[in-house]
Parts: sequence; C-alpha cells; structure tokens
Amino acid sequence: MPSSDSDSPEFARVDWDAVSSGRRRPRPRTAGFALAALGVVALFAYDLAVAPEATIPVVDWDVNRSGWLVVVALVVVARYVFVPLIADRDRTGRHVRAFLARPAGPLALGYLVAFGLLGLLGPELLEFSYAKLDARLQPPVFGGVDASANAGYSCVGPVVDGVCRGTWQYPLGTNYIGENVIEGLVGGIHVAFKIGVATAVIMATVATAVGTVAGYYGGWVDDLLMRYVDVQQTIPAIVVYIVLSTLFLGNIEGISDGGTFAFVLVFGLLDWGGIARLVRSEAIQRRTAGYVRAAKAAGASDLHVVRRHVVPNSTATIVTALTRRIPLLVLAQVGLAYLALNGTRPASLGEVLRVSLQGRHMPWFLKWWTSVPAVLVLVGLVVACNVFGDTVRDVLDPREEVR
Amino acid sequence: MADPLLAVRDLRVRFETDEGVVHAVDGVDFDVDVGETVCLVGESGSGKTVACESITRLLPDSTAIDGEIRFDGTDLTDCSASTLQSHRGGRIGHVFQNPQDALDPVYTVGEQVVEAIRIHRDVPKAAAREQAVGLLDRVGIGEPEARFDDYPHQFSGGMKQRVVVAMALAPDPDLLIADEPTTALDVTIQRQVLNLLADLQAERGMAVLFVTHDLGVVAEVADRVVVMYAGRVMESAGVDALFDDPAHPYTRALLACLPGRGDPFETIGGSIPDPTDPPDGCRFHPRCPHAVADCERGDHPALRSPAASSGGGRAGTNDGDGTDELDHEVACLLYDDEHALPPELAGVDTEVADD
Repeated sequence: MPSSDSDSPEFARVDWDAVSSGRRRPRPRTAGFALAALGVVALFAYDLAVAPEATIPVVDWDVNRSGWLVVVALVVVARYVFVPLIADRDRTGRHVRAFLARPAGPLALGYLVAFGLLGLLGPELLEFSYAKLDARLQPPVFGGVDASANAGYSCVGPVVDGVCRGTWQYPLGTNYIGENVIEGLVGGIHVAFKIGVATAVIMATVATAVGTVAGYYGGWVDDLLMRYVDVQQTIPAIVVYIVLSTLFLGNIEGISDGGTFAFVLVFGLLDWGGIARLVRSEAIQRRTAGYVRAAKAAGASDLHVVRRHVVPNSTATIVTALTRRIPLLVLAQVGLAYLALNGTRPASLGEVLRVSLQGRHMPWFLKWWTSVPAVLVLVGLVVACNVFGDTVRDVLDPREEVR
Repeated sequence: MADPLLAVRDLRVRFETDEGVVHAVDGVDFDVDVGETVCLVGESGSGKTVACESITRLLPDSTAIDGEIRFDGTDLTDCSASTLQSHRGGRIGHVFQNPQDALDPVYTVGEQVVEAIRIHRDVPKAAAREQAVGLLDRVGIGEPEARFDDYPHQFSGGMKQRVVVAMALAPDPDLLIADEPTTALDVTIQRQVLNLLADLQAERGMAVLFVTHDLGVVAEVADRVVVMYAGRVMESAGVDALFDDPAHPYTRALLACLPGRGDPFETIGGSIPDPTDPPDGCRFHPRCPHAVADCERGDHPALRSPAASSGGGRAGTNDGDGTDELDHEVACLLYDDEHALPPELAGVDTEVADD
C-alpha cells in the first residue's frame, strides 16, 4: 500500500503550483477525432472536386454520397464508442464480463457483428456484379423445385424424378429475373447497414444534444425546443419522405444512390423527436441529482457536468431507444422500397422482396427461396437489436448488478 | 484581529414561488475565521442551508441574492463566473446532507475522487490516482487500493459520506461547508464522521461552516454558533457562552429541548412562520414566552451584546474567555435599555449552569 502514511498523506506533499498548468491541452482523442474528420473532409473534397469519376486510391473504393455519410458516421461511432471502450480497459473488462454472463446478449451481438461486416465489406469482397443471368428461378443448393412448375426456364442443375435440383453455381438460387439471391441478400444487408448506422448516428447526435440542453437548462430553452419537437412529431418522417419522393422522385433517382442519401437525411433529421423526449426526461432527473449538485459545488462547469454526469447517466436510455429505433428505420426503408418509393443501388431488401413476389410463372410458396431468406434476415435484425439493447441497458446500469 | 476568512453581511435570498416571494434568508451576518468551526443552527426552514448554498451561488439562477459575501478578499456576490468556479471546490469545499446520491452511480468511487482532484489541478491520471488512494485511506476507507474500483452502490452510507469528504478535501480547500453531513447516518456512524471531520480540520487548519439542527453535534464540534430562525440570526456566540448562558428566548427554548436539560417533554409551541408572510417585529414573537407589545412592531431587532443592558451578574460567567463575551450578540428587544429583562432571562441560570 503506497500511501497508508496517515500523518502526511500523498496529496499533502504535492507541490500543486508546479503541477497545475494554466490552459489544458486538448486531449489526444479530441485531436485524433479532429484529424480523422479532417481526413474524411479531404478525401470527400478530392472525390468531389479533383476526381469525381475515379475511385479513391489505395483502397480502390468508389464512395458515393450516402457512402460518405456512412464514413462520417463510422468515424463518430469510433470516437464515441470504440475509443472510450479501448481507453478505459478496466471498465470495458467489467462490462464485457457482465455482458458475457447474459447468454442472449453475445448471441445478438454476434448476429449484429456478422450483419455489419457482411454489409460493410460483403459487396466489395465478394465482387458482386448484380448482373441479370439467363438462369432464372434456379432453386438453392440442396433444394429443389418441381421441374414442370418451372415453366419455360431451363434447369441448370440435374433433374431428378422431375425435380430440378439446385447447384453450387447459385448457392441460394436465382429469382425470376435471373438475379442471384445471395447477391440480393448481401446487397440488401449492405443498404440496411448503411441506413441503420448513418441515420442512427445523426438521430443520436441531434436527439442527445436537443434533449440534454432542454432538460438540463429548462426554462424558455426547454419550451422552445420541445414545442419544435411537438410540431415535428405531428408529421411523421415517413410522410415527409413520401411527399418529397412524389415531388422529386425523378430527381432523386437521377442522383447516384439518391435513395439512400434522401432516406438518411429525411429520417435522420426529422425522426429524433421521441428519443429527444426520453433524453430530456433523463436530463431533468439528473439535473437535481446529488452528484450533479456535488460536481457543481466542486467547481465543475456546466459543460463538464453535462458531458461527465448527465449524458453518461442517460447512456442506457439512449442506447435502448436507438436499438429499438434502428430496426424500425430499416423496416421503414424496406417498406418504401417495396412500394418502389426508395430506389437504392444495390437494391434494398424491400426491392428484393418486391421482385421476388412479382412474376406469375410460379406461386410464391414454390419459389420460397427468393423471399423467405430476406424475411428471416430482417426478423433476425429486429430481434437481435432489441435483445442487444436490453442487455446493454442491464450492463450499463451498475445498480442492476445481482451478485 | 485579522479579517475573517469568510464575512457574510446583510445576506438576503429571495425565491419566487407560486405562493409568493419567499424570503428564505433575510439579512444575515456572520463570520468564519481561519481554522475556526462555526455552526449554523436552526429548525428546518430557518434558511441555514440556503444561506450556505448562496455563498458559492449553488442555488437556481432564478434566486435573487443580495448582500455581501467576502471570502479572503474576494466578493463572491459580484465576481466573474470563472472566479466563482475556481472558488467552488478549490477554496470552498461542500459536503451535502445525503450521501446516498452524492456519488455518480456510473463511475467507480476512485474515479470520482480522481475527478475531484483533476477539476482544479492538471494532474496526470496516474498521479491523481495515487493521491486519490491516499485520500481514501486518510478518510478511513479500509484497503483503499482494492475499494478504488468499487461502485458507490457497494458502499454503505457512512462509507459514501467518507468518500464525499475525501472528494471535498481533494483540492485542499480553506473552508469546508458541511451541510448536515451526519443527519442521514445512524448514530454510531455519525460519531465516526464527526471525529474524522474534527481530525482533518485540526490537521489542515481548515475552517468549517457546519450546518445542523442537532445541538448535541454543535456542542461537540463548534467554536462559535450562529442560531438562525425564519431567515434571521437570533443569536451568535462562542459555544461555551451559548450553552452556559443562552440569551435569546429561542436559543433557550432550543436548549431546553435537549435531553437532560430542562423539562424532558418540553417543546417549542407553534411552528415556524409562513416564509412568504413573516410576522412583523421579531420573527419569533408569536412563539416567544417573554414577548411584549414592542416585539410585534417594526423590524426584526438588531444584534446587540446581551451584557450591555444591565446584567451585572452576567459578565461573571465568562471570566476565563474574554473574546466569547465580545462576540456574544443577540437579536432581542429585551436586551436593550428600554425594556426590563424578565427575571428568567436575567438570573444566572441555575438549572443549566451546572450542566
């Protein structure tokens, strides 16, 4: 024990004047964040002004507008989720142990990580062409379909006892316009990932800022912000999107990847009202908490109190609200795409479902492989997000500890 | 005598409420000298907490604070936000009543002590951690290295209050404001925390402004006592003078409520006045057994020395300690020259003096 010397404790021997320096240097993570943000801006400027057509050197990516939003969102996630997790290994270790002790959480996280990696890297790594093939309505490998029902289309695989068998050439089969189902699935996951991450980051940022400011400062600031939220919530983002898309649909489609971009902007900027309300009520509770009063009495600034005490104590609420919101956003986009109101490249799962259910050559239950996997992927996403959110809420709330 | 460390002059604090304007503190004066323990005593609602929270302006922004609060040469009622912030914690530490929610449940106890150190000093994390362990050890947390990483909910109330004291002491303040620091603790723990505060004060030469309604605690910790009632100072005296020779009828009534003094079942009749509509004259007159007609008129009486009136026998009680006699002030009309002191107040209090 280094300082059990009670007569002259450690702090009494420190020469405070020598230790304290006037202005504080920016912390490394702030500087790193600024550098990363500058880097993204520089690359964006390069892409926009210098070489709009060319791909970004080294990584050979052709990032489009919504892609840039996702890149920015990922930088923000890295700064506010991964850097704190890595910086505070002790705390992370405790959280990870608590997380692993709840079996549902790791399963859900595993699904989300697989979903994210597939969405982020899948289309690039697997070198999808999204080409329309001549081989239409091929069943998946190990699957089969009555060859006579497969009217007009040749079977690529062997026909055994009048049943067309699938082949490894098209592991998950093809749909009626000859699209590879696996490409459609991974492409759809890619779109869902982009939409989920970019919209969630925009929503979380705006909702946390608005909710905390309204709840912590109160008074007319609170009135002004919350009345605005009231107005905004009377018109759901999905209605705004539908109106805008009918007005400008042609223009949006004309822009490269305009569908994703428009969806992220409209929902990210207009759909945060509910989360802001939750954050506000948390902030109101925290404002009068003893530790906030104590921190102010100890000389902490408002900014310090908000960042160090109010927001961290609302994290569980924000995370839970976001994990409920993200699958709903993805489903909203799927719905819009199903109605042909939101075109994305690659096609989103909504468009995949629409295409798979079209065509009268075969009833949908016979060509199940074109639609059921997409539905399962979406169901998995909704369940995994909710389970993950609940587990994180439990882990982040130390009062819930039962041991 | 040198200037006091903290000088509060004519402090007035007003709140706007739905029922009207509350004059929670209505013209209060008191001093705290370097290294001294001053107790603010009074019933609930007497304005003692508001008075000490207005020193570093911890009250809501809508509160109107008038008067002068001079701390070591700086007028805290009229200084920049940054001066105020550097005084909060840095020069004036604060310990609140309820330790149960004084610690942030999201951080470990150690992290919070480190934070308290780093708000005022730009210390590297490792050094701050070492100091925090030292502080935890000093305030009596066993195995501070191990408990550093525990969360507040793993601590008992008394342990939490020790941590809160450690956090308040971290920046080495000159004045510690302890607002009923032991009220929420059980009796044996109260004693430990009081002893800890007394030890720390002696060790560091720190002044303490101690707010309490518990006269038993006052007798133990105070050098001087300021008795408040309904937003006004009733009596201010050295602790010996106050207990041996209380002047104000309110102080006497409070002391009579202590076990072992006066009638065991005696209470003060009535209740504290409506803060939005305090009575004219002396605030205490509706409940005062000695009130005369003049007590119901005019302003609250000014502070004056109780000995100045005519108590020849009174001066004798404090022969050993002249400063107590000088500092003894009471806000009661009965001690001026125009009123005769009732015999119960004038006589040498036989039944209390031999306590």
